[in-house]
Amino acid sequence: MTTQGDNVRPFGVSVDFGDHYTVLGVTGEVDLVTGPMVDAIVSSVIDGGHRAVVLDLAKCDFLDARGLRSIASAIRRLAGVGAVLTVRSPSAMVGHLLETSGISDLIHLEQERPVTGPEPSRTGPVTVLAPAGHLGPEEVVRGSGRGGETGLSDVVRPLRRITAVPADDDVVDGALRLVVDLAQATVGGADGVSVSLRRHGRLSTVAATDQTILDMDTDQYDTGEGPCVDASVEGRWFHAEALGDETRWPTFVPRARALGTNAILSSPLLAGARPVGALNIYSRAVAAFTPRDRELAATFASGASAILTEAGAGVDSDELAGRLTEALERRAVISQAQGVLMAHHGLSAEAAYTVLLRSSIQTGTPLREGARMVAAAALRPRASSGEGLGDSADG
Amino acid sequence: MFERFRREAKLTHGELWLRYFELGGMSTALELEAVLYGALWPTGHDHDVIAHALNERFVELGGNHPVPYSEGMADAPEAP
Repeated sequence: MTTQGDNVRPFGVSVDFGDHYTVLGVTGEVDLVTGPMVDAIVSSVIDGGHRAVVLDLAKCDFLDARGLRSIASAIRRLAGVGAVLTVRSPSAMVGHLLETSGISDLIHLEQERPVTGPEPSRTGPVTVLAPAGHLGPEEVVRGSGRGGETGLSDVVRPLRRITAVPADDDVVDGALRLVVDLAQATVGGADGVSVSLRRHGRLSTVAATDQTILDMDTDQYDTGEGPCVDASVEGRWFHAEALGDETRWPTFVPRARALGTNAILSSPLLAGARPVGALNIYSRAVAAFTPRDRELAATFASGASAILTEAGAGVDSDELAGRLTEALERRAVISQAQGVLMAHHGLSAEAAYTVLLRSSIQTGTPLREGARMVAAAALRPRASSGEGLGDSADG
Repeated sequence: MFERFRREAKLTHGELWLRYFELGGMSTALELEAVLYGALWPTGHDHDVIAHALNERFVELGGNHPVPYSEGMADAPEAP
């Protein structure tokens, strides 16, 4: 659990492309919320062809189990291409975690920065994720051909601080803007990228690289058709390779072509198992997206889905009603178990509850599980001995 | 104190209330929020239900009941 004090730095990641190393500098905490973002950035760097990757943790204040998973997946990704991850300057706490988890055996550990300072880079560090108050220019990023260094170096779109309370729409939007920018910079054929998200029952665009892309999304919402709408509703990806030959979406396609678009790739975003939106990539070129581009899009879409799942997006009134029903059922089981304990042990309602509570704490299992067992155990012998069921189990 | 734990447990106010309600909590979502921010003082029992709603979440995240229970819990009978 995070030892969150006032001195925790806001989360951010910088990427510095050196001649020999690519240094990812992590600031703040890597946890359940920020871990997927670290994963997305590491993935895009490795997918961009970089092998000598340094994870600089000098400014990383905290790393939990999810953070360790991010490091482990970076190790795995690099091992797949025959490279080893370097972790630089972890704090004592993080160093200890790496040690006890056995991860330290799988990495190059640099305890300190080189005395000469960080390796000079050709382009200077690129802030992929900037803490609040350190916002760079709000410029529109244009795709610059195939991914890799030049692509990622263009990612200067600032993001809001990510360390605020999760499930906050602002935080989610910030994370989705990051995904849009990363996709724009790394997916080869991308001329524009957007994320559509269903909120309050309506699809809208929460992040887009420019106005044309926004217009194209809006056209799809208005006409109720298009790959972005279908991916958001059906939860599977839609690839329109050449809009000139496209027979699906007869109303939308002519509008998109009028705006200069010839290929569209929409990957679904899921919160849990529920489709809640789409990551849309637009290109002016026909057949712009290679298999690798589609793979990258899927990676970013799954990163965005993890963020949305964690934030509890997609909880609409239907789902809320379902969750309330479920909560009521669980609550009833606890009441039943209380009743059983009251009848069998002569306890007050509160004392019976405390018994269930202590058992839950001692066993580390949810209270409702213990309650279910108590209620079920009360039923079985009574049924076999022929007694009525209703005399003690209706507490 | 509860509010800090709620943030660390990465639960929205609504999610915490639902978990608290599931565990038999009787307060409304608004009352729970007032307790979280220290504007209302919960009964010992209510304190334990809130603490447990948070702790069950911490256990899901790999923790071990960091939220303290009321003093009354120590005198309570053992599980049968």
